[in-house]
Amino acid sequence: MKLASAYRKEMTIAFRGFYFYVEIVIALILLAVLLLAVDEYPEGREKEYAFYDASPAVVDAVFAELIEEGTLVPGEPEELTMKPASFEVVDEAAGTSARYSFDDARAVAARTMLEMDRATGRKKKTIYLLDSEDDLLRLSFSSGGVGAVIRPGDDGRLYYRYILQGYETERVSNLLYALHARSLDELGDAMDGQAVRSLGPVDRLNARESAVPLFVTFAGSLMGFFIVMAYLYLDKNEGAIKAIAVTPATVRTYLLSKTLVIMSTVLVSSSIVVIPVMGAKPDYLLFYPFLLATTFAFAALGLFVASFFDSMDDAFGTLYVIMIAFMLPAFSYLIGSFDPVWLRFFPTYPVLQVFKAVMLGKTDVPYALAVLAGFLAGGAAILLAAEARFKKTLTV
Amino acid sequence: MAMIAKVMRILRRDSLVASRDSMLIIILAMSVLMAVGIQLFAPGIADSVVRIGLLDDDTADHAAFVAEYARVERFGSVAELERRVAKRDEIAGMVRSGDGYEIVVQGDEGPDLLNYAKLLNALYELGGSRDDSTASVLSFGKAVSPIKAKLANMLILMMVMLSGMTISLGIVEEKSDDTISAVNVSPVSQNAFIVGKSLLGGLSTLASIVIALLILGYRGVNWPMIILVGLTSMVLTFIIGFLQGLSSTDVIEAATGVKMTMLPIAGSIAGYELLSDKWQWTMYWSPFYWAYKANDLILTERADWPTVLLCAALVSGISLAIYLIAIPRIREGLS
Repeated sequence: MKLASAYRKEMTIAFRGFYFYVEIVIALILLAVLLLAVDEYPEGREKEYAFYDASPAVVDAVFAELIEEGTLVPGEPEELTMKPASFEVVDEAAGTSARYSFDDARAVAARTMLEMDRATGRKKKTIYLLDSEDDLLRLSFSSGGVGAVIRPGDDGRLYYRYILQGYETERVSNLLYALHARSLDELGDAMDGQAVRSLGPVDRLNARESAVPLFVTFAGSLMGFFIVMAYLYLDKNEGAIKAIAVTPATVRTYLLSKTLVIMSTVLVSSSIVVIPVMGAKPDYLLFYPFLLATTFAFAALGLFVASFFDSMDDAFGTLYVIMIAFMLPAFSYLIGSFDPVWLRFFPTYPVLQVFKAVMLGKTDVPYALAVLAGFLAGGAAILLAAEARFKKTLTV
Repeated sequence: MAMIAKVMRILRRDSLVASRDSMLIIILAMSVLMAVGIQLFAPGIADSVVRIGLLDDDTADHAAFVAEYARVERFGSVAELERRVAKRDEIAGMVRSGDGYEIVVQGDEGPDLLNYAKLLNALYELGGSRDDSTASVLSFGKAVSPIKAKLANMLILMMVMLSGMTISLGIVEEKSDDTISAVNVSPVSQNAFIVGKSLLGGLSTLASIVIALLILGYRGVNWPMIILVGLTSMVLTFIIGFLQGLSSTDVIEAATGVKMTMLPIAGSIAGYELLSDKWQWTMYWSPFYWAYKANDLILTERADWPTVLLCAALVSGISLAIYLIAIPRIREGLS
């Protein structure tokens, strides 16, 4: 009863304050950005530059074949601008290098070919067809895109001279060499004949949906850690905390009511984004308990950390370090092939993983419940530790 | 001269206060720690393009072939390999089947991983050595990977943001201690107070950016360009920090302001990295976009002075516009 009344009081204060509405506004802004500015299947931004050292008839014949088989689609010509530049091109295999220097700025019109993703029908990369090797070098150097000079040999095969940036791994150049050890037709046929076994149904979040687990983890659950500290120091500054000593409310009631306010705010702000973007796809029966459990645990951690400092200013450095550390698993989430073992020990790692599965609607329920139970138990233990510390300092 | 002396006195006082609560040390330590972290892990991020799982009893010839093109992990049994493939990161398995190899995937990977695995299998089946290849590979000899440059760029913006937040929280603290009203009856002018309060954050942030870039191996970077962009983007953060600090009546409002500042910064980075060329103009309003773009060009050795000066001018211009609009609020907040 005391908790319910404390919670009601805290919510009334929160409704009067600025923060609650800012959370709602931020959620609405993110929702608008996701719905209006983020494509579900964004077009690839990769650029490649090619110069065919051959007659136009040969070039047209090469592309006619690729267009016919559906690999490429002709795009609109584009004007490309080149700035003065100076650089070196190194041929490590031959042990030679050549220096290039261009003092003029110039613009060229380039034909474009678009490589398409057959599954989504969206552009994967743009290939610019240039009229000279110098233009290719300048554009490849300034944009960071791969360049290729292609010429037909006397033996009837096409010869490729790739220009990379220099930071690529040896595996990339190995692959380029291997790609042209056989004819592309032969390779294509061999690739089509490969046996593939998939362990599960193909199901992925699109680009827009992929942002949702990040939002609910970092702007939802984790934000409780930050904001509960701010709430606590506000009460400290205003002397409201000392008033608790003369009320029947205990320190536990006070801390729990603060945590509940954060949980309520996160519940509303996360719903604003999740429901319109994801629709009926997520497993909501698991989503909300998991969201609340993780927010509770991070808020409890925020209270515990806050118990070591006197003001937000003092606590800010520590708070910032912890927040940044907790955000690191986002790299692994965004870059699927980057998944070092040490990252799995960060609490936000399983949170992101479960939220992603929940959004797909194909959660490993026992795993998700185990993580949920872990956060509840951990949160409760940390809250008890915070309570023990605050009992000594808060109500004096 | 008297004005400069007063500004320096505020800087000295702030340095003393900052050294007491270790904020300054935290800003510097953060940049060092994060730079070391990037230095350690960026190669892992850049080099983890494709991973292939093979069985321990696979032939040495096949394993050596795959290792030339991908990162290889070995497993004792098919079940173990399947368990690994089923984990959330992207890895394809190759298991011997008849004369060839069967590719095992989880099903939710991007199409590139499967195509790469198919290509490797096809190349292995067809054979052919580097001597048969009609390709040759040259390079510009650039040493810094774009991922490392992006992480370093984000680190710079994070440092700049941190100094803005410090100013904002510092002012709220001064307000609660009632020291701001004390300034009004002192010989220090409001402008001197603003500059003095900003100097400590500015100097420590610049120092931390330089230290972080040195740790990250950017010794040969164009330092005048980096300092110019750092200074201009910092002016903007100071203005925002001041505005937030002065307009916040309590710490919860300042904390909310901190969160609000993250939006345009994160949005500018995401916009620059993710939006296609035809939509980049939608981010032109953001000074953080121009700062991030300029740093990106500088760190990837593609910058030229006209572009950097234009970016710096845009950051300064937008900052100046915000400052001019905000002057009445700053004066009101200080009085």
